[in-house]
Amino acid sequence: MSGKKLRIALAGNANVGKSVIFNQLTGLHQHIGNWPGKTVERAEGTLHFKGYTIDVIDLPGIYSLSTLSLEEVISREYIIMEKPDLVINVVDASILERNLFFTLQLIELGAPLIIALNQIDVAERKGIKIDYKRLEEILQVPVVPTVAIRGKGLHELLEKAIETIEKGFSNQITIRYGEEVEERIQRLEGVLKNIGLKYPIRWVAIKLLEGDEYIEEEIREIKPEIPDLARSLAEEIERIHGHPCPTVITSERYEVAGRIAREVQRILPSIKPSLGERIHNITTHKIMGYLIMVLVVFGVLLTIFGFGGYLSNVLSDLLYGFEPLFESILGFGPLKDIIWGGLIEGIIANITIALPYIIPFYLILYILEDSGYLARIAFLMDTLMHKIGLHGKAFIPLMLGYGCSVPACLGCRIMETERERLIAGFVVTLIPCAARTVVIMGLVGTYLGIGWALTLYIVDLMIVLILGRLAFKILPGEPTALIMEMPDYRLPHLKTAIKQTWFRLEEFLKISFPLVIVSGMLIRIMEISGVLETISYILSPVTVSWLGLPEISGVLLIFGVLRKELTLVLLETLLGTTNFQSALRPIQMFTFTLVVILYVPCIATIASCVKEFRWRKALAITITEILFAILVGGLAYRILLILNLLE
Amino acid sequence: MTALKEGETGVIVSIEAGSGRGRCCGKGFHKRLIDMGLTPGTEIAVVKSAPFNGPIEIYVRGFRLALGRGMAERIIVEARR
Repeated sequence: MSGKKLRIALAGNANVGKSVIFNQLTGLHQHIGNWPGKTVERAEGTLHFKGYTIDVIDLPGIYSLSTLSLEEVISREYIIMEKPDLVINVVDASILERNLFFTLQLIELGAPLIIALNQIDVAERKGIKIDYKRLEEILQVPVVPTVAIRGKGLHELLEKAIETIEKGFSNQITIRYGEEVEERIQRLEGVLKNIGLKYPIRWVAIKLLEGDEYIEEEIREIKPEIPDLARSLAEEIERIHGHPCPTVITSERYEVAGRIAREVQRILPSIKPSLGERIHNITTHKIMGYLIMVLVVFGVLLTIFGFGGYLSNVLSDLLYGFEPLFESILGFGPLKDIIWGGLIEGIIANITIALPYIIPFYLILYILEDSGYLARIAFLMDTLMHKIGLHGKAFIPLMLGYGCSVPACLGCRIMETERERLIAGFVVTLIPCAARTVVIMGLVGTYLGIGWALTLYIVDLMIVLILGRLAFKILPGEPTALIMEMPDYRLPHLKTAIKQTWFRLEEFLKISFPLVIVSGMLIRIMEISGVLETISYILSPVTVSWLGLPEISGVLLIFGVLRKELTLVLLETLLGTTNFQSALRPIQMFTFTLVVILYVPCIATIASCVKEFRWRKALAITITEILFAILVGGLAYRILLILNLLE
Repeated sequence: MTALKEGETGVIVSIEAGSGRGRCCGKGFHKRLIDMGLTPGTEIAVVKSAPFNGPIEIYVRGFRLALGRGMAERIIVEARR
């Protein structure tokens, strides 16, 4: 089964069923990671077909190949530089015109292409019939109709793919623009001809006229006068048409796409609004929509945290049941503390956090996203989220943050730009998760009353709003605005959901396991060797003088990095009683809890930050939050002193 | 576009270049709108407005698009009666 190796890339707009095709093709042989140096997810898998070993790579879903979003640059670079043997362009048959717009760009890019005309069942239900043979003729690209979620047409797709690769490529068509544009493309082609480009010449000419900064930059290095020429040509086009040149070219490309679409499809007027249509109307309704959203969000939280919390407890009871066994083997010495307290507890923390919360979270997130409901939530919540410089989609990770920061952090990947992901990630780690709720309720709620606990929540929410806005102002990049397709509702493909959940979990554990274990052992070793007390002492200017806390809190805060509720558990152990009043004055309880809420995401959250944002940014978030917590804690302490509260 | 009522249709005349301040509309977004098929001459229908000055849902080239209001304001359309 060694055979020849082939590489096939899947490309297409968002929401066309690309990931379903990917999962159907590659089965269990896949790997989900990030693109090197990027935070965009990269999914790769292998399959065997007709004696070939085929690597399939799922390029990020995109809208067009010209705007400079991360996904698009990645896809385009991959197609040009890595030269896959074939690109399968997944096209949504029910929105043919817009999908063809992207197909035309792939053709211009000179990609070896076949088309998977997907969701023909959806199209048919909408009354759209497509003559795919005619489409094949016009584009001179093989077209295979598919219904990916039911596996229909995928075998044919693979056969056609192999056939196309074996046959080699026939010349593809050239997309003709209007006369004025065409004339200038050819002039540019003329000067680009002999400078040794790695890109197709005509494509470069078009991109230059479209003002593609990335290409401009590259050509400028070879021959600086060419981009200048392109600019003046673009200005000529702008003068003739009265619109900026990129707009003109895009319009004309859409015109071509529209013309082809009209030629190959027949649309029967639909008789009545479909079920999806009706659900759409209800779920975006200005009253019903919010009601349903509250119910759904509540349901999601209940499922993830109710089920997760239950399972987490069961698992942790089960796993902690092994402690006596370890004690009997290792005794009570430092060895047991390191092995059990560091290594095993680290593993337990991972298992009890990762499995119960992350699995249902990934499943539900995928289902929400794939069914199309996420887009409706974003639609309804956009105004509110703008207050912290994000748009509607950020609502989901923010909500999740009240349960556990880990899924919340991972959920930030639904944001489109790196900047938005980072702001969202920063904000969600500041939201009190279930573990922090334990501290809030166990300390402030119990001893100072529910009013003070509520005060903490409100203070935290204000901080989130202010910091969100601040991050939004400080971080470079364009301000956020919602441009979002609202895809038709559809049933999510369960098999894909489960597989994606599995592979993402695997990826998460790969980062979090070592991190949790190493840091757990490190802290235990520090504790046993007495370094921890020294550190507590060193920290005392901050903890005692600035924050007004007892010296012991230094140790607590260090342990809290592992899991935030540990701060309370450890306090109990050190005091030998749950009567915290003997150790902390009321004002200290408040300050301490405030610091615990803000000071640093727990180690599992840091791990998920690393997965989403990579090391540098994860560290930046962590350090910022430590400093910030110290600042706010100290200020709160002083304000309370001045107001003579809680003394 | 924000002047259109729910259910009304119009044809896009132009997209005002953004100054980049406020909520929206740097060069990237302008490009993105165009790439989404909101080119001059395209017919659009306003389906729905989200409450609290929220985004606007439009129907264009066979699909639904949600646009932040600030952005929608910069899209000049000619109403069709």
